[in-house]
Amino acid sequence: MIPSAVPSVLKDSVREVIPTAKILVVGAGGIGCEVLKNLALSGFADIEIIDLDTIDVSNLNRQFLFRKEHVGKSKANVAKESILSYNPDISIKAYHDSITSQEYGVNFFKRFNVVLNALDNRAARNHVNRMCLAADIPLIESGTAGYSGQVQFIKKGVTQCYECQPKPPQKSFPGCTIRNTPSEPVHCIVWAKHLFNQLFGEDDPDQDVSPDTADPEAAGDLTAMGNLLRTSTRQWAQQVDYNHVKLFNKFFHDDIDYLLLMENLWKTRKPPEPISWEMASACGTEKRKVLTDDVSSEMDVWPIYLCAEVFSTTIATLKKELSNKEFLIWDKDDKVGLNFVTACANIRAHIFSIAKKSRWDIKSIAGNIIPAIATTNAMIAGLVVLIAFRVLAGDYEECQSIYLRQKSVHSNIILAPDFFTEKANPNCYVCAEQPYVSAYVNVEDMTVKEFENEVLKKTLNMIAPDVILDGKGVFVISSEEGETEANNDKKLSQLGIVDGSILKADDFLQNYNLTIGINNYIAEKDKPLFKIDAKSEELKPSQQNGKENGSVDENASEENVMEVDDKTEAEHLEEYFDDNDPQEGTSTKKRKLNPPDDEDEDLIMLDDP
Amino acid sequence: MSSPSPKSPEQNDKNKKYDRQLRLWGDHGQKLLESSKVCLINATALGTEILKSLVLPGIGAFTIVDGEKVTEEDVGSNFFLDEFHIGTSRAQAATETLLELNPDVRGDYIDDFPDHVMSQTQDFFNHFNVVIATALPEKVLMPLSKQLWSANIPLLVCRSVGFLGYVRLQIREHTVIEAHPDNEAPDLQLDRPWPLLREHLEQTDVPNLGTKERSHVPALTILYYYLQQYRNENGGLLPKTYSDKEKLRNMIRDSLPNENDILEENYEQAVKLVNVCVNCTRVPNHIQKILDDEFCTNLTSESSPFWVICAALREMVQSEGALPVRGSLPDMAADTTSFISLQQLYMRQAQSQAESIYRRAMQISRALGQSPDSISETEVKLFCKHASELQVFRGNCVADEYQTSSPSASLHLEDPESLMFYYVILRGLESFISEYNTYPGQFDDHVEPDVLKLKTLIGKLLTDWGCPTLVISDDRVHEVCRYGGAELHSVSAMLAGCTAHEAIKLITHQYKPINNTFIYDAITSTSATFVL
Repeated sequence: MIPSAVPSVLKDSVREVIPTAKILVVGAGGIGCEVLKNLALSGFADIEIIDLDTIDVSNLNRQFLFRKEHVGKSKANVAKESILSYNPDISIKAYHDSITSQEYGVNFFKRFNVVLNALDNRAARNHVNRMCLAADIPLIESGTAGYSGQVQFIKKGVTQCYECQPKPPQKSFPGCTIRNTPSEPVHCIVWAKHLFNQLFGEDDPDQDVSPDTADPEAAGDLTAMGNLLRTSTRQWAQQVDYNHVKLFNKFFHDDIDYLLLMENLWKTRKPPEPISWEMASACGTEKRKVLTDDVSSEMDVWPIYLCAEVFSTTIATLKKELSNKEFLIWDKDDKVGLNFVTACANIRAHIFSIAKKSRWDIKSIAGNIIPAIATTNAMIAGLVVLIAFRVLAGDYEECQSIYLRQKSVHSNIILAPDFFTEKANPNCYVCAEQPYVSAYVNVEDMTVKEFENEVLKKTLNMIAPDVILDGKGVFVISSEEGETEANNDKKLSQLGIVDGSILKADDFLQNYNLTIGINNYIAEKDKPLFKIDAKSEELKPSQQNGKENGSVDENASEENVMEVDDKTEAEHLEEYFDDNDPQEGTSTKKRKLNPPDDEDEDLIMLDDP
Repeated sequence: MSSPSPKSPEQNDKNKKYDRQLRLWGDHGQKLLESSKVCLINATALGTEILKSLVLPGIGAFTIVDGEKVTEEDVGSNFFLDEFHIGTSRAQAATETLLELNPDVRGDYIDDFPDHVMSQTQDFFNHFNVVIATALPEKVLMPLSKQLWSANIPLLVCRSVGFLGYVRLQIREHTVIEAHPDNEAPDLQLDRPWPLLREHLEQTDVPNLGTKERSHVPALTILYYYLQQYRNENGGLLPKTYSDKEKLRNMIRDSLPNENDILEENYEQAVKLVNVCVNCTRVPNHIQKILDDEFCTNLTSESSPFWVICAALREMVQSEGALPVRGSLPDMAADTTSFISLQQLYMRQAQSQAESIYRRAMQISRALGQSPDSISETEVKLFCKHASELQVFRGNCVADEYQTSSPSASLHLEDPESLMFYYVILRGLESFISEYNTYPGQFDDHVEPDVLKLKTLIGKLLTDWGCPTLVISDDRVHEVCRYGGAELHSVSAMLAGCTAHEAIKLITHQYKPINNTFIYDAITSTSATFVL
């Protein structure tokens, strides 16, 4: 007998499965809350929910299973309790944990009939994708951003996987742009966040804020000056006891003076204008504003004297906070930290003649905030569960991806389903029979550790890779601690990894084997230090166009796109991108603006169908 | 977290709570939302889900009108009703649980049927900003639709049955200031600079700048100089075609003193601005249409602020030949002082134009005998800034749609792919409910006879419209009878998100609303909109 909770309008084949189906919901945020409710109201009785996040005030405008009194508590646990208070007869298990943790291996995933993703970041999405492929369990992937959203069904051997289509790279900026030649507000904001970390945060050598003398564009300028021996920014700040005048003059005057010595940089750019504490606090004599809690402090661009004042007061506060902690963590919702970044970003913008921004805008950029509303999540979560019905019935051919576009002005089509389920990309480096990827790296320069962290983990999303140099049997990287530590600081070439080498990478956790073809590649200035290209070997660009390894010349086309008048030309360029745009990676010299905001479950890179 | 920030007042907390949505509709949109009153007729699963998506983002207040008592089926499909509510007022139960979602929202209920409420308090429904009706029978919908039409209050009619969803927006007139177009070119008016701007731009002797000064000049000044030169050489005309524009771009590129030098950043920017910024400034057609609208040219004391401001705008357009300048500049590489002085020129021009429109609008409003606070300066400023995105929507009355003998629905029925047949089935369903006071297929033993009855009703509708009755297949009628009127929660959830979002658009006067009927087919995951 099928319980009455199972909707009578569903097909019998689905109705029979629902009462015993085991469902895993990954993420208890905006979409997750809605999905849980929809499942509970569709007769599902065996649900597991995992989320490592805790509840924040900014979740309450849409994550309806949470109330103000739940702020700070585990999302998974509170969501479970809320669902149980509606229907205590449902079996629901909550994990306040990360889905990428070792405990949730292939066998964990194999227990479920279908997995529903309601995540907020690409790394976790990639991981669940691989786990579901390995366990051969159907996955329904979903995401929203503002008014848009999408739902995608993924099943091994039936559809595309989440990684079949390369996603646009997450925005990152070359180190020398941040340290030497900012040209957009965002460069100053990233610099200001790095400054926060240098002064108060956890030490990260990749976040240096001082002038970068290794800038290839400035080559030759400083040879006469010799190398400046510097102590770390933190040590120096402590030596001067976080004196705001000394700090200000160093970052906004002396360092800028130093930058001006690199004359090559300023041949085609407007040179920056150093500003001292005295100058900054003296400018603007008229009526002085003070920082308040009202709208004008939020929405208006602060004058320079106010930035200087905020710089000094926030430093004092942050210094005090630091006194009983090892380090501080920057958080967009912490007012002092946000004020500090707003002030510093704007002073730097002023120096480089870049448009200044309000605190409101800076919060959005620095915090990588994606707008999120209840209505879009409700629509997407409804679609997720409706597709789950089809998946449980085995009607895979009816599970096309669906795109939601409410903002589109010209079209009356609000829901746009694909006509067919997309077939897997035979060259996908994740779900292909024998996954293969070309890596373009500088084998003379990149260390094994950098290769592991930046290429394998951050770009190819492996969690615990073991790597062997094919043919030679050299054990390059081991997931077992201590086994290959001696290799860490060696350059790839020192281990015999050169142009044409083949690496076999194996991630036991993801049950994922990948063959990596190595191509030696020297990056141009302001370009990522390495690239990943999922195309198969025979499609590899030839080496004849004068550049090392024929790297795809996105450079030229990118600039053209800006000023294409002609429609056909534009379409042509789009095709060009589709075919040739490899996934760009991040490297030690490049840094992400921010990891995706983990508090927001709703982020997805929306790809056009 | 580095530290708990010193928490000041609730405002701060509220901003935090609504942060993610403020980034879509802004403080002014939020203010309108927080002062809005929404009425829900019938707390069905669909109805409560709609209200949930309005309570969470913080409407001011809601009222539920519902005379039903909570049943076991209600509890099974509605997250906001519990077993202990069975037998109690559905309006009350839903109001109480919905209020738990957001302490900033007020809510009350009327435990009575909407037709009673209407007959007892005639203008009861006229006090809301939006009225949303779910599962409302035709005989109540007709008078309600007429009443709200004459009161110019938006009505959203929704239904969720099985795999089928329907939303109809009844809007007599709706005006939008911020339509949020997907992309917008900067508004620089370089083809017709006002005297102060021209004076400023002509101060710089662009071709004779030293190497150092070259990198300090804003792209706009460079572009203006070469545009003038181009026009001098081309009989005063603006570059139109791709090759014209390429000519202008080359003039900028060729300005480099030494051939081997690299073009400076600001010159590169000037080159990039050519395509979007060197165009003839004119009033877009859809704006001209609004300015020529009867509501704009024949104001009355009842005219809304939108139309009064429009009338003031119209006068300015007539004398100046263009909309007020938007007043914002794209980011440019230049030294701070020259960029700021340029920025301020645009800002001041925008300000002074907005002020003169404000003064004129106030005069007009006063002459009409309207209250002096009917027009706010903030609104006029917003209006001027978005003058090129204004939108006016005029719909039609649901009662008229139901009574017409040749609905535009029949036009779409020739297309076998069109979702329009669902509209016909839904209309048949409404007739069925009116006639038999039950859903077709609601009782298991009645399915077959109900199919026949529904087919007859649909056939009658089609004959009235002069359409062949064969366009609706038997299978489709069977399918709807199979639903027995049951709501599928996930379909309702999806439809509710969509409906709530339309309500937010109407309340905030931002974004274009759906015009005017939305049909959702959950079997194929497709949707369509029709103007009916």
